[in-house]
Amino acid sequence: MFKEYSNIVKVLKSGGLVVFPSDSVYGLAVDPLNPKAVAKLIAFKDRWPGKAISVAVNSLDMAKKYAKIDTKAENIFKTLLPGPFTVIVPGLHLFAPGIEAENGTIGLRLPKYQFITDLVTELGSPITATSANLSGKTPHYSIPSLLKTLSAKKQALIDLIVDHGQLPKNQPSTVIDISQPEPQILRAGDILVEAGTKFVSQSEADTRRLAQFIFQKITPDHRPIVFLLTGDLGGGKTVFSQSIGKYLGVKDQITSPTFVILNQYPATLVKQFLHFDLYRLSAGYEFDEIKFLDHFQPQTVSCIEWPEIMNPQDLQTIRQTCQVISVSFTYLSQNKRLIEYSF
Amino acid sequence: MNQLAIETSCDDTCAAVLTDGRLISSVISSQTNLHQQWGGVVPDIAKRAHQQNIDPVVQTALKRAHLKLSDIDYLAVTQGPGLAIALSVGVNYAKDLALKLNKPLIAVNHIEGHLLSPFITNRSGNPVRQFQFPLLSLTVSGGHTKIILTQSLGDYQIIGQTLDDAAGESLDKAAKLLGLGYPGGPIIEVLSRLGNPNFLKLPQPLNNKSILNFSFSGLKTAFYYQIKKMSPEYILAHQADLAASFQQSVFSSLTTKFGLAISKYSPVLLSASGGVLANKALRAQLRSLAKKHHLPIYFPSKLAHNTDNAAMIGLVAHHKFLRHQFANPLLLDRDPRLQL
Repeated sequence: MFKEYSNIVKVLKSGGLVVFPSDSVYGLAVDPLNPKAVAKLIAFKDRWPGKAISVAVNSLDMAKKYAKIDTKAENIFKTLLPGPFTVIVPGLHLFAPGIEAENGTIGLRLPKYQFITDLVTELGSPITATSANLSGKTPHYSIPSLLKTLSAKKQALIDLIVDHGQLPKNQPSTVIDISQPEPQILRAGDILVEAGTKFVSQSEADTRRLAQFIFQKITPDHRPIVFLLTGDLGGGKTVFSQSIGKYLGVKDQITSPTFVILNQYPATLVKQFLHFDLYRLSAGYEFDEIKFLDHFQPQTVSCIEWPEIMNPQDLQTIRQTCQVISVSFTYLSQNKRLIEYSF
Repeated sequence: MNQLAIETSCDDTCAAVLTDGRLISSVISSQTNLHQQWGGVVPDIAKRAHQQNIDPVVQTALKRAHLKLSDIDYLAVTQGPGLAIALSVGVNYAKDLALKLNKPLIAVNHIEGHLLSPFITNRSGNPVRQFQFPLLSLTVSGGHTKIILTQSLGDYQIIGQTLDDAAGESLDKAAKLLGLGYPGGPIIEVLSRLGNPNFLKLPQPLNNKSILNFSFSGLKTAFYYQIKKMSPEYILAHQADLAASFQQSVFSSLTTKFGLAISKYSPVLLSASGGVLANKALRAQLRSLAKKHHLPIYFPSKLAHNTDNAAMIGLVAHHKFLRHQFANPLLLDRDPRLQL
């Protein structure tokens, strides 16, 4: 693994073009500080110079070295990244021509994908993170699919291919411009962001992706993790819970716990995934009868539907002893839900 | 052979006494006024108060059977699936009793209980119910929706089940969306008789002939969308039509999938059980489905055998007893995710 990185770094440092895997599609990496390498990339993509090429960084600190990030941008950066987003901010004009857009902005990526962040760390500076397709063509999820579309001349421009096989079919990143007074979505990708911690889900699949995205925002510690899910019937709470369970490695079909109040599933990432639906609990003593608070043990993740039925003391106890994430589901229109989370 | 069966998998504390596999007495906490009988020990509205309920419920079942604990030859208890904390009460009680009385103990799967509930007979052996295999069964309750193929007792195969909400649960939730309170399955049934089932067009979930699984969450969501577009006055004016449309969508899904399973597995006998079978419209639709396929269909002979009860646990235990399938009372543990 380490050797793999040092080889790639060597190629990048000498101005080479590398095809690499990412959290969405296969990408093209060059050293964005090297004008010759950038020129080669633009020639490869048949890209009109003047259109920006996004770069991947490994941290907010690295981003600050190459872009102007004010407090507002920093907050948005922290909310969305790492994640499937490209954030557009004013650049500091340190990159080779062609990386920043004509208006001097730069697209930054900080994917939740260890291969890329490790590679950037190893290199010590950003890499380009543009998709490995010719301009205007669809992106690729496997190397054979990419190579099929390339002429021999184009193929000769590639110096190294890092093949991680077939990548999961995630959408390309959502591009959000925060260099404007009001953040704007330029390309709707994997996850639609409304503002800050508000997201729009347009399908069950969106809700599933969002659940995993929000889960990845958690910095795990020794405390149990508890999601409090609020919203109307049919808002997506069960789909959200199923997705968290699946992410944790639950093998069983995760079905509604409404009747039985609580379903407990063995998981692989943690010891147990607990799925509560408090809907049918009415009186306070019913919580004692099911020894409600005893369930929140270390190495467990819980999704609680209808947490508003809990009494305030229990909620306070949970807030004091667990890592709590509140997620609300609001109906916008037939196929749109607003999903908002807070820690 | 006298048997005491105990069931505490979710809301109700239940006990039953059976003699040679025939039901002598059956007590369900929510359907019995223990409050009066036991001098205020048990609040009769308390759900899941198994620890308080279990002794009075067992004593009542024995008393109604005119038997004493010492007359009991073996014990049976629900091991799972269900709510862990609720199952524990029954399992621990039965284990203690088995050790104290030095009698055999049988662990029973709750789903197998529902599956066999149409075969419960009274002390005279009525109604006469003969097992014939392959048997194809539909179990629909607030917590389960399954199609099960039985080749012989103890040899079960789940060939279809819900991927999200149970059928009974979806009816309860539709009632809630219509402002009819919760749980509202019974209200939906009554209203549906007055309404037009074709009033609202709802999707048939998993409408693919090769899929025997159910999905009721999507149906509920589709219903929710449509309701959202209506004014409260309009909903009120068309409550019966809306209830009838939703109920019919759920029942169509159940009968369609069950019909597909009949064609695919060619059973010689059908059965259906679970809380939702309390609904007469569903029973009528299943009866006509069975008739279409020229097959007999059994439902539980009493409505009380549809909801959670210990009689069905006792019947399963009777057959396990005949097969010598005993549990170790020192080692038995509840299993909230027990599979059939």
